[in-house]
Amino acid sequence: MDDLEKAILIMFDESGTVDSELKQKAKDYCDKIKEEQAICSVCIEKLCFSNLVQVQFWCLQTLHEVIRVRYSSMSLDERYLIRKSVFSIACFGGFDDKSTVRVLEGPAFIKNKLAQVLVTLIYFEYPLVWSSVFVDFLSQLSKGAMVIDMFCRVLNALDEELINLDYPRTPEELAVAARVKDAMRQQCVAQIVRAWYDIVSMYRNSDEELCASVLESMRRYISWIDIGLIVNDAFIPLLFELVLVGGLSEQLRGAAAGCLSAVVSKRMDPQSKLPLLQSLQMRRVFGLVAQDSDSELVSNVAALLTGYAVEVLECFKRLNSEDAKGVSMELLNEVLPSVFYVMQNCELDSTFSIVQFLSGYVATMKTLSPLRETQLLHVGQILEVIRSQIRYDPMYRKNLDILDKIGREEEDRMVEFRKDLFVLLRNVGRVAPDVTQIFIRNSLATAVGSSSNWNVEEVEAALSLFYAFGESINGEAMRTGSGLLGELVPMLLSTRFPCHSNRLVALVYLETVTRYMKFVQENTQYIHMVLAAFLDERGIHHPNVNVSRRASYLFMRVVKLLKLKLVPFIENILQSLQDTVAGFTSMDYTSKELSGSEDGSHIFEAIGLLIGMEDVPPAKQSDYLSSLLTPLCQQVEALLRNAKVLTPEEAPQKFANIQQIIVAINSLSKGFSERLVTASRPAIGLMFKQTLDVLLQVLVVFPNVEALRSKVTSFVHRMVDTLGASVFPYLPKALEQLLVDSEPKELVGLLILLNQLICKFNTLFRDILDEVFPAIAGRILNVIPVDALPSGPGSNTEENRELQELQRTLYTFLHVITTHDLSSVFLSPKSRSYLQPIMQLLLFTSCKHKDILVRKVCVQIFIRLIRDWCAMPNGEEKVPGFQSFIIENFATNCCLYSLLDNSFEFRDANTLVLFGEIVLAQKVMYEKFGNDFLVHFVSKGFPAAHCPQDLAETYCQKLQGSDIKALKSFYQSLIENLRLQQNGSLVVR
Amino acid sequence: MALPNQQTVDYPSFKLVIVGDGGTGKTTFVKRHLTGEFEKKYEPTIGVEVHPLDFFTNCGKIRFYCWDTAGQEKFGGLRDGYYIHGQCAIIMFDVTARLTYKNVPTWHRDLCRVCENIPIVLCGNKVDVKNRQVKAKQVTFHRKKNLQYYEISAKSNYNFEKPFLYLARKLAGETELRFVESPALAPPEVQIDMAVQAKHEQELAQAAAQPLPDDDDDLFE
Repeated sequence: MDDLEKAILIMFDESGTVDSELKQKAKDYCDKIKEEQAICSVCIEKLCFSNLVQVQFWCLQTLHEVIRVRYSSMSLDERYLIRKSVFSIACFGGFDDKSTVRVLEGPAFIKNKLAQVLVTLIYFEYPLVWSSVFVDFLSQLSKGAMVIDMFCRVLNALDEELINLDYPRTPEELAVAARVKDAMRQQCVAQIVRAWYDIVSMYRNSDEELCASVLESMRRYISWIDIGLIVNDAFIPLLFELVLVGGLSEQLRGAAAGCLSAVVSKRMDPQSKLPLLQSLQMRRVFGLVAQDSDSELVSNVAALLTGYAVEVLECFKRLNSEDAKGVSMELLNEVLPSVFYVMQNCELDSTFSIVQFLSGYVATMKTLSPLRETQLLHVGQILEVIRSQIRYDPMYRKNLDILDKIGREEEDRMVEFRKDLFVLLRNVGRVAPDVTQIFIRNSLATAVGSSSNWNVEEVEAALSLFYAFGESINGEAMRTGSGLLGELVPMLLSTRFPCHSNRLVALVYLETVTRYMKFVQENTQYIHMVLAAFLDERGIHHPNVNVSRRASYLFMRVVKLLKLKLVPFIENILQSLQDTVAGFTSMDYTSKELSGSEDGSHIFEAIGLLIGMEDVPPAKQSDYLSSLLTPLCQQVEALLRNAKVLTPEEAPQKFANIQQIIVAINSLSKGFSERLVTASRPAIGLMFKQTLDVLLQVLVVFPNVEALRSKVTSFVHRMVDTLGASVFPYLPKALEQLLVDSEPKELVGLLILLNQLICKFNTLFRDILDEVFPAIAGRILNVIPVDALPSGPGSNTEENRELQELQRTLYTFLHVITTHDLSSVFLSPKSRSYLQPIMQLLLFTSCKHKDILVRKVCVQIFIRLIRDWCAMPNGEEKVPGFQSFIIENFATNCCLYSLLDNSFEFRDANTLVLFGEIVLAQKVMYEKFGNDFLVHFVSKGFPAAHCPQDLAETYCQKLQGSDIKALKSFYQSLIENLRLQQNGSLVVR
Repeated sequence: MALPNQQTVDYPSFKLVIVGDGGTGKTTFVKRHLTGEFEKKYEPTIGVEVHPLDFFTNCGKIRFYCWDTAGQEKFGGLRDGYYIHGQCAIIMFDVTARLTYKNVPTWHRDLCRVCENIPIVLCGNKVDVKNRQVKAKQVTFHRKKNLQYYEISAKSNYNFEKPFLYLARKLAGETELRFVESPALAPPEVQIDMAVQAKHEQELAQAAAQPLPDDDDDLFE
């Protein structure tokens, strides 16, 4: 062993016994050798004489690298040497020396590496320099299996490294691939195919593995060689024979099926494709799929049949002659039963592509109405396939019921898996609604009566079919109960499934009932059945909490749809919901994990919708509402009274209870309209006001419990909508309490509430806003920095994000104030001291904020303030100092200098809108301030930006003109001009 | 199999090669396993980090020596020399970067050149990130090549065990093999986001399952 060999062994060591330092030395040594001029000869020599695989691998790796990187600078002799030696090694010898190492006898990865090197040579040399490479190789195949195997590896490598488009390729590689393919087609493809045929014929009984490798290689080439070389009286019979003969290995039979698949999916025009498909007589292999369903062969044959069916369908779609349509339909009818069989009986990866195919087939049926008997039969079979595919395996029954980790995974998988199948179902439902409805009815009927081993899954699948089918029915058909629907819906409502306690069954049952509710809306005789389904143990009283909460939500939707028809049932409904209502607000807070969007509060919303209707007599309405509100308020009051003695252990539970109560009241109130509460039935309004009083007390007693504060805030939002202006007396106290010790996040919530109030009441809200604005402004200005928030690494903290959010909301708030005629609020005596800092903040933000939309908001605020506060002709200033602030600061900094920065990107749509606002601002300033603005802008601002005199003059003209569009486009060109002059570096500012 | 000074063990161990474009999260992924992270050895010479990851199965303990190419994907080191004697592999891509998925076939080819017929798992990482560029449906490569595909999120430990369980079953030829206890994992860094994601997905699924709302049926309040 020489030094290089030793170094390579050390470098590749995996035993863990070599220390790092030595490895480093070995690596350095090898790297040094790589640099040598004669590295190729070194590698070749080692390849011939060293039998250490690590050494062989390193040599091949190095050769590959050297050829790739240095080919153009190699001498002709060197290229010749490499070519000759590598080829010789690949053909098992050539050197006479007995001590020659036989690479072909080594492990597969060395042979693959050798093939890669050969392909790299082909890349550079075929066909111009080394035109005979394939022909030479063919002449060596007679040496036997090892050379044939190597030949296959070279062809595979050629496919993978160069030709196959599954791998990303550079344009250069694509060009080389085209060159190689063209040359091969011209020169040797026919010979290669001949060789494949001969080898398989010769070795099929002695070396099946070799034959499989040959076919595996061949499969890769079928897509780009002359199909006539394969589709002929010799090769096709051979391939079918291999697939069909029982005694051969699955691998060989599968490989032959793979070749047939490649033939079938060869890209051709349909006119020639159809005769080809017909000539194959595919029916010969149909029987194979019925054998052992898990074998690799079956999955290969299944892929072949699906591929075949896809192509036949494609011919049917694309050919127009009666004759061709007839032939393709016949072939399709012939293969379909096998496709159905495969889907129902084999566990296959190809399920996905089969569903796609079936969808394509169903889509074609649309053009065939009315459907013939065969097609109706196929529809039935497709439905059968769908039903069997969407059925859960009973082995997961318990997991799915209690929804543990395994159950959840299985459910997720099934939801995903069902998507395509349901699309297929809906398409079938549109093409053949009657067949589909009959199928669903029969499925439901048989599911009810099926054996208990499958009962749950059968029922679930049948209901899911019915549910998914509903999506393809239009509203009209749903209402009138067209077809069998008039029978199916009552059947659904009246059926009691023995497995109703199962979570999945109960859920899909309720979803399905809800989906078909429009039918009940028209057929009110079924209402009592719907109510029973939701109110008994199938729905809201289901033992599984997930089901009962979902039922609450669905019930709310049903109530929304049917509410007018439910008036006579209100008494009964309320009675049967008593326990649920009581349970919701006394819930153990540890069950919180179940909360989220589906927390069960929808039951209150449903009740609110029912009792909030004007059709309910006033006395009744008051009774209902007070019977709900009074106990809830009393609960809260009791908790508030005992706040002082609350221990830290009890607190979380109590707070959770209060939250639940507020959520419940909130949901309940959604059913009451502002008109009813304020105009027609003020007594109801009074009850909500009393409730508001109680709940605001929560803020006083527990000012620092964030969860409670946010719930009360939502409730105030709600009451603003429900009580209208009559909520005003409560607001000062509420707003004051919400401000106590509020964190940035809570301040955001408060601003949003104020925005709602301003937008709803406009100037009516002025007095209250006048009162609260100083406190809010003071508080926020204390928290947020006047200049930019820190950015860069490490600044993306929760705290900073909250401040950013607050800043953003503040601008919206100021914007809402100004655009609702409330800018006078800034000028009230108590607010006056905040005016200056607010203006500074707006100015800074309008120039520098990184969000363009925020900058736009600030500019719009300024425009509005200028209009509100500055009047021409120049009389007494409404806000002393404002005009000069605008002219000296806003005009120059925001309207000129901030635009000079290259980051102001005119091609960005938002930026362009901001630019429009900035131009408008100048127009407004000119309108209001006249020459005071113009003179300062042109004589102070422009010179600082090195604006040429002629441009400044044109600017004055455009500004004084009436065409704002012309001003805008001129100003843009002016800015771009100034940027060019300054070469992007801004001197002013 | 092990690296200098790395302890060898007396229970079954396998060389696992983990490949994929740089930045797809290979290192983050293997580092989630805490004991592996503790015992890993870096081999600067050949630019590889070998993490011994132990798992406890119902058939006994097993170890994967995870060969992580540590940022040397394309250059330096042994390149495909790493793969020699690899017994199983993970190909990783990043669902938020389309190019990393496009390169999967190339990684697969280079791997299979050296390791014929080994079990391979394809992993789409970073599914916790909101703007995915490669949707689950667009991932089809594994079907062509008969690989197993898992969506994972290294940062949140989502599906961390799945690839190892699949490989262990294949290597042991035991489809019923289970992990009997969880390995110690680094605490998830983005659990909250994951929950949001799950909720988001659930909402999407629910939305997809709903019929289009009619005017009088306002689902969205």
